[in-house]
Amino acid sequence: MKALTGKQIARRFMLYAVFLFGSQGIVALLGASALVLPDLPSPISAEYGRAVHLALATFWPVIGMLGMVYYFTAEQLKTDIYSPKLARWQFLIMLVTSLSLLGSLALEIGNGREYLDGLPIFYAGISLGILIEAYNLGRTLWENRQRLTPATGIMAVGVAFLCILLIPNILHYSNPVADEAVKFWVVHLWEEMAFELTTSGFIASFFVATGIANKKDIEKWLYLEATLSVMGGLFGTGHHYYWIGFPSIWLFLGSFFSVIQAIPVFLLANLIYKGFKNHKVLNLKEKLAVWLILSSIFHHLTGATLLGLLMTIPWVNLYTHGTYITSGHAHLALFGTIGFLILAGAYTILSDRESPTPKTYRYGVAGVILLNLGLIGMSLCLLIAGFLQTYLWRVLGLDFMAVSSIIRPYLSLRVLSGSLFTSGALILCTIIIRTWWKTWTVRRKTTG
Amino acid sequence: MRLRTFILISLASWTVFVLSVRFSWNLDEPMSQEANAGKEVWQSHNCVSCHTLLGQGGYSGEDLTHIMAKRSPDDINAFFRHPPVIPPHQEEKHPSLTPLETQDLIAFLEYMRTIPTLGWPPEPKRLESGDIL
Repeated sequence: MKALTGKQIARRFMLYAVFLFGSQGIVALLGASALVLPDLPSPISAEYGRAVHLALATFWPVIGMLGMVYYFTAEQLKTDIYSPKLARWQFLIMLVTSLSLLGSLALEIGNGREYLDGLPIFYAGISLGILIEAYNLGRTLWENRQRLTPATGIMAVGVAFLCILLIPNILHYSNPVADEAVKFWVVHLWEEMAFELTTSGFIASFFVATGIANKKDIEKWLYLEATLSVMGGLFGTGHHYYWIGFPSIWLFLGSFFSVIQAIPVFLLANLIYKGFKNHKVLNLKEKLAVWLILSSIFHHLTGATLLGLLMTIPWVNLYTHGTYITSGHAHLALFGTIGFLILAGAYTILSDRESPTPKTYRYGVAGVILLNLGLIGMSLCLLIAGFLQTYLWRVLGLDFMAVSSIIRPYLSLRVLSGSLFTSGALILCTIIIRTWWKTWTVRRKTTG
Repeated sequence: MRLRTFILISLASWTVFVLSVRFSWNLDEPMSQEANAGKEVWQSHNCVSCHTLLGQGGYSGEDLTHIMAKRSPDDINAFFRHPPVIPPHQEEKHPSLTPLETQDLIAFLEYMRTIPTLGWPPEPKRLESGDIL
């Protein structure tokens, strides 16, 4: 059977996302080392090194996610996407603009906005790329409206939101409160709303395709989960607005809707638990993807949701805000929740119909374990450093620099855990890229 | 529930959210031209990579939201005229600014001090001489 063109184009997105993820592992490790090894010679200043790290953290998941949505939309609808040509152009635009953004930051050209550092033109290019996909998906769904599934519907809405939330960040804000507020439309809402929609769609598609869960059971609650994700995600942004100059009503909105945000996570976890109780025997390829998905669910429940809920209590947040605790939580919430899922998607898509050898599978599992150990280790070190900052600096009023000396050993331990993480990342990237190469050469021979 | 209902609820929630945020970010006092220029200085030197403002930014430097309550403009001017080595570095000094940039940055940081942060950062507990850490 001839493969659908949309699915083939999705492979480019996934390959590029995996390349960016591998680069992120190296950049992050060097950045963490520079923080504890003063005067370490570096081609990039620490300020812009951090900007590159944050830009990679924002854009490798989105590029992977866009590929996954194309692939699983075609998979669910059993038809091609509306315009493969548009998707090719979209990929090219996103490749050029994202590489230009990263390159310009490495050359220390930026606009000094945390997480969204870089020239507005590049953000306009990335927004255009996402807009093209939202249009392409919209047309695909419209033309197949008789066969539409909840998973394809919520994934398309998720992509539309990715675009809607990024566009306001192309603009310049002289009002510092507005600047901070709009930044969180990407920093919070991409992760905790738009990606929630696309990842729920991916998990639903994957579980139906592998037979882990029943299609009817999966689809029954999907729109309800998605609606709670949107409402909870939007007003849950309030937990980032507590102390930035917003009225006090946001203390209530932020904490109340953060609880609402947790409901779909527990619904999803329950669904997965039920699915696994009666699942069929999985092959090695599916097993490796499941390892990654389960890692994501674990971090979603613990580091992202439970720790996140604790941190959104205003009386707790008053003390922890602006410390390394935020950083520890961010690593667990972003990579822990989204990163593992995109790696699962990348592996599933790039391995095509190929299954790994038992040896490759064992390496893959070792990579997943190293990623988990590294992530938990890094985050624990950051959380301990943040707790010490909170207690010694915020509560007891010790000098900031004195506290910085006290927490340095934990930041050094973070580098050690980071090296475990990077090793795991490189093992998995190698497996995924080798699998892609193998399937790509087979495809070339068959089509050529 | 159907896709159409989900899209309608999503659009309605988004509209209410955007309007609430837009009305919440109004500033009590307008920013002066110098403060605006100071924000540009803050951004062009990528200060946010090391320091936080309103608790947002890098954690290797101190939060500067209320720095003007602790330091005088003369202190800030002197700091940027002869930037010190920043521990734990042995050689690397804090980046410097021109006198004009410093004036603008001071105006911006003075402005940041006036933003109502609902009691953040909290006032630390004063340690008595017999207290044990």
